[in-house]
Amino acid sequence: MKQSAESRTPTPVKIIIAGGFGVGKTTAVSSISEITPLRTEAAITTASDDVDRTAHVPDKTTTTVALDFGCITIDDDIKLYLFGTPGQDRFGFMWRDLVLGALGALVIVDTRRIDECYPAVDYFEKAGLPFVVAVNLFEGRLSHAVADIRWALAIGDHVPLITFDARVKVSVRDALLTVLRTTLQRVTSPAAQG
Amino acid sequence: MQDREVSLLRPYLLTSGRAGPIDRNLEIEAQVLTTELGAASHASLSFERRDIVALCTKTMSVAEVAAILGLHIGVARVLVADLAALGYVVVHRPAAGLAGDPAMIERIIRRLEAIS
Repeated sequence: MKQSAESRTPTPVKIIIAGGFGVGKTTAVSSISEITPLRTEAAITTASDDVDRTAHVPDKTTTTVALDFGCITIDDDIKLYLFGTPGQDRFGFMWRDLVLGALGALVIVDTRRIDECYPAVDYFEKAGLPFVVAVNLFEGRLSHAVADIRWALAIGDHVPLITFDARVKVSVRDALLTVLRTTLQRVTSPAAQG
Repeated sequence: MQDREVSLLRPYLLTSGRAGPIDRNLEIEAQVLTTELGAASHASLSFERRDIVALCTKTMSVAEVAAILGLHIGVARVLVADLAALGYVVVHRPAAGLAGDPAMIERIIRRLEAIS
């Protein structure tokens, strides 16, 4: 009985979609997910600080952070989950759970607020998770040169920096493919990582 | 997306006051499926546990369980872990080391490339 139940159950894999608030994470997930993105909340105990925009509260508080996610059925055996997370320092607790076993991450950047993705870049580098930085072209144009963005983020040449449009399915697909190829390269030639 | 104002006390009531899951490592993408025992025991279960057993007659992730039932993700993990310990659901967790398996990654790449 258990046997048959488990044989119908796909193995889940995941890619993390990180970036600041309103950068297009949920849009990207919606564009390619086969289900309408779902939202769930995680409770997080946090020491609030001066960057906390909801900081009309004492120094320690429990807040919730929304996690938007969708999925793509790869085949009968594999289901790919896409978890969108507002990668902030103070959400480190949830990141550990998210990153564990992840194939890789897509860090979405809004060039008007580049600094908002620093914590994500920093976290994935430390965690050794392969990641790709993707500039979301909101208006179809780039407000900074790609080289300047790379410099601003202080990411090495081994980290792909791409542009994409979170509203366009094939563009999101290509961004995810870049993540997977980066992971594949890391797995097949570990020495190549910088 | 409906607005859910969940009191912070509520999760602790739901999980009988435990602060964390029985299995703290239960991944939020882990797949949950109700067993025959679970389906048969449905009527004897209390609210949230009953909802989970009813929902997971179709396989879904812990994250989906949380989202659909309007539970905090941590609460969903505790409840699913509880139900798994009782044999009411089976949990299919991601295979260890899968993220480092080139054949698996290539397979996902090929399938994604076919999406248009």
